Amino acid sequence: MDKELLKIENLTIGFPTKSGIHTVVDHVNLEVGKGEIVGIVGESGSGKSMTSLAVMGLLSEEAQVSEGSIQLNGQELLGMSREERRKIQGKNMSMIFQEPMTSLNPVMKIGTQVGESLKLHTDLDKEAIRGRVIEALASVGLRNPELLVDQYPHEISGGMRQRVMIAMAIINHPDLIIADEPTTALDVTVQAQILNLLKKIHRDTGSSILFISHDLNVIKEVCQKVVVMYKGVIVERGDAKEVLKHPKHEYTRKLVASMPDQVRKSQNTKKLLEVQDLNVYYKENKKLFSSKDKRKHIIHGMSFDLYEGEILGVVGESGCGKSTLAKTIVGLNREYDGKLEMDHLKPQMVFQDPFSSLNPARKIGWILEEPLKLKGIKDKKQRKELVNQMLTEIGLDPSFANRYARELSGGQRQRISIGLSLMRGEKLIIADEPVSALDVTVQSQILRLLLKLHDEKNLTYMFISHDLNVVHHMCHRVIVMYLGRIVEMADVDELYDHPCHPYTRMLFDSILTDEEKETTDSVTVNEILPETVDGDGGCPFYGRCRYAGENCLSEVPTLTDIGTPGHPHLVRCERIAYGEKYTAAD
Amino acid sequence: MKKHNYSLIFGLILTGIILVITIIGQFWTPYDITGMNSMARNQAPSLMHIMGTDNFGRDVFSRVMNGCGTTFFVALSTVAIGCFFGVIIGALTGFYGGLLDEIVMRINDVLLSFPSVLLVLIFISFIGTGKYKIIVALGVMFIPSFARIVRSEVIRYKSQEFVRSAQVMGAGSLRIIFVHILPNTVVSMLTAAAIGFNNAVLAEASMSYLGLGVQPPDPSLGRMLSEAQAYIFTAPWYAIWPGVVIVLIILGFSQISEGLRAISD
Repeated sequence: MDKELLKIENLTIGFPTKSGIHTVVDHVNLEVGKGEIVGIVGESGSGKSMTSLAVMGLLSEEAQVSEGSIQLNGQELLGMSREERRKIQGKNMSMIFQEPMTSLNPVMKIGTQVGESLKLHTDLDKEAIRGRVIEALASVGLRNPELLVDQYPHEISGGMRQRVMIAMAIINHPDLIIADEPTTALDVTVQAQILNLLKKIHRDTGSSILFISHDLNVIKEVCQKVVVMYKGVIVERGDAKEVLKHPKHEYTRKLVASMPDQVRKSQNTKKLLEVQDLNVYYKENKKLFSSKDKRKHIIHGMSFDLYEGEILGVVGESGCGKSTLAKTIVGLNREYDGKLEMDHLKPQMVFQDPFSSLNPARKIGWILEEPLKLKGIKDKKQRKELVNQMLTEIGLDPSFANRYARELSGGQRQRISIGLSLMRGEKLIIADEPVSALDVTVQSQILRLLLKLHDEKNLTYMFISHDLNVVHHMCHRVIVMYLGRIVEMADVDELYDHPCHPYTRMLFDSILTDEEKETTDSVTVNEILPETVDGDGGCPFYGRCRYAGENCLSEVPTLTDIGTPGHPHLVRCERIAYGEKYTAAD
Repeated sequence: MKKHNYSLIFGLILTGIILVITIIGQFWTPYDITGMNSMARNQAPSLMHIMGTDNFGRDVFSRVMNGCGTTFFVALSTVAIGCFFGVIIGALTGFYGGLLDEIVMRINDVLLSFPSVLLVLIFISFIGTGKYKIIVALGVMFIPSFARIVRSEVIRYKSQEFVRSAQVMGAGSLRIIFVHILPNTVVSMLTAAAIGFNNAVLAEASMSYLGLGVQPPDPSLGRMLSEAQAYIFTAPWYAIWPGVVIVLIILGFSQISEGLRAISD
C-alpha cells in the first residue's frame, strides 16, 4: 500500500491578468505521509494558502490550475466532479480556517454545525449524531458540551470557537486535516492551548495534518516536516527543526533571522511621563430611556514612570487594558482619575491597524501635512518640504505623497503611520501593537525602522504588544498587565530571566521558542481558561493561578519590590510578598 | 478598473444630451414658447413641429426644451437645500450622538413616515404656491433622507482609527467632521443626490400637475402634463412627449446613481 496520503505533483496555479497569466503557485511538489504533520511556511502571497485551497477544491472561479495533479489516497482530486468531491470533503479530509469569528455560521447552533458533516456523510440518526457531537466537543477540551450544542457562536469566546472549528474538522475522523493559520487570530496563551490540542488529536487519531502558517515558532513546535514557500515556489524543505536551525536558502535565513538586534538601554533619568494611581473607566453610552449611568472600571490604580529615551513594553492578553492605557495617555479617553503628568508633551500614537488608521479619502501628502497645519505652519511650501523629508526618513520615495493609502501595502502604510506620529516633532510615541497586523518579514523591517528613528531622534516609546519575543528585543523595561493592573514590572533581562508572577510565568510558558521547552512536551497552562472574573477583593488572577492558596482570596495583593537598588522589580503576588520563591520544579 | 462602468457612461451621455438641449432651450427655441397660434392648434407631430402643438397652437418641442430648465432648476435647488442641511444635521448628530441625536432622528422618522406629497401639500397651504415656494417646501422634505445617510456614514467612520489619529494630532471636532470624515462620504452622497434628484423631478411634476408649482404661462414638464390631460384623446402627443422626457431624465440619473454605487462598492 502506498504510504503517501496526499501527493501534490507539479501543481501550477495562475490568475489571468491583462498581461497574461500571473502564476501564484509554480510547479509545487509536496507529499504528506500517513500520520505526518507537514508545515508550509511563507509570508502572505507566497502561495501557501492557494496550495491548500486547491487541495480542498476551494479555489475561486478565476484561478486556473494549468498543470499538475493532487492525489489523496491515490485518487486524483483535480478535475473531479462536484458530486464526487462532496463525498470526499468532510469525510476523508477537512479544514480548519484562520478566522474563528467569521468561519462559523452565526445563526446556526453549534451542535448543528459540528454535526453537519455526519449528517451528510453517514446514516446516523439525530440522537447518535448528537452523541458524537458531544463526544467531539469534549475531546477538544470544551467544558459542558451538552450545553454548548444548543448555544450560538456569539455566546462563546474566540478560543472556544477555534476549538469548535477543530471539533468540526475531526468529527468524521478524516485522514487529512488542513489547518490554515489556525492560531494566527488568537492570543498567545490560547494559541499554545490550541497547538497542544492539535498535537493531541494527531497522537490520538493518527490523522495527517497539513499545517499552514507564517509563524516559524508555531511550525517548529508542531510540525515534523516543513516546506518553505516564496513567491509560489518551494525554496526549501526538510525536517522542521533541522531546516529552522540551519536554514540553507537565503529566504529561509531571512525568515529565521527576522528579529532585529536589541537596543542599548539609555541612562537618562529625566521623566517624560509620570503616571500615579491612575484609574480609567469606560463610560457606556447613555441612552434616551435609561437613567443608569454605567461605567466600567478598566484600569485599577496604575503607577509608573517613563524616562526620556526609554522603550517601555506593555504586555498582556487582549482585554487587559493595555490599549485603554494607551488611549488615556494620548488623550482619547477622558474618563479617568489619578495623576497623568507629561512634560509639555502631546504624545502621538502609532495605531495597530494600518488599514483603518489612514484616511481613505485623502492622499498621503495631505494626511502627513495635517499635523503641520494643526501646529500652525502656514507656509505651504515649507509643509511640502517637511513631508518629503519625512517620507525619505521612513524609507519611502517622496512621490508617495501623491498616492492614496489604498494603493499602499500594509508595511508601507505602517511606515506612513509612524511618519505621521513624528510629524509634530513630539518625542513620546505610544505604539499600540504596531506590527501585529503585518507579515513576519515586514514586521522586522518596521521594528528596525522604529529602532532607527528611536536612535536618530532620541525618541521615547511606550510599546504595547502581545508578542513577547518582539518585546524582548525592542524594550528596556516591561510592564505585565492583567485585568487592568500591573502584576509585574522590571528591566527586560531581569523579567525574562526571572519571571516571578504566576501570570508572567504562564505567558512565558506559552512562548514556543525557548530551547529548553523542546524537552517538555506539554505546556503548563491550565487547559481550559476559567472565565476571567475580577476577584471580589481577592487576587484577580486567583481563578487561573496554579499556585493559588487560601490567603490569596482575602485581599488584592500589593506591588512588592524584590529587585536591587536602581533596578526595581515589582510583583503583585501575596506569596512573593511573604518571601516565598517558586522553584523551577513548580 | 477591470470592468467598464456602462451604467455610469450611459447615464452621463443621456443626461448630457438632455442637459445640452435644455440649456439651449433657455436662450433659443424654434418657436416662441408663449406665442399662441390659433391656426395651428392641436397639430400632430410634423416636420414643422416635431412634437406637435398644444391647444393654443404653441410648439410642444419648444416648450419642452424650456420647461426642462424649470424642472431641472427646481429639482437641483431642492436637492441642494436637502443636501446642505441634511449633511450638516446628519454629520453633527452622527458624530456627537447623545440626546440631541435621539431627538433629531425621531423627528426624522416622523417626517419620513408620512407620504412626502402630503407633507408638501400641508406646507404649501401655509406658505402659498409658486416656483420658489415649491423649492423651499420640497427642499425641507428632502432634508431627513440626506441627514439619515450622512449620519450613518459618519457613525461608520467615526470609530475608525484615522479619526482617533486626527484627535491625537489635536484636530478639533468640527475639523474632524468636515475635513476628515465628510470627504469619505462623497460617493454615497452623490448616489443619494442622484436618487434625490429623480424624486425631486417627480415631485415637481406632481406639484405642477396639481397646479401648485410653476404657474402659467411658464412651461414645466408637470404643468404641461396637467394641461394636456383634457386633450389626451384628441392630441395625445401633447401628454406623451413631456412624459417621455421625464422618463428619460429619470433613466439618466438612475443610471448615474447605479454607476456611482458600483464605484463605491
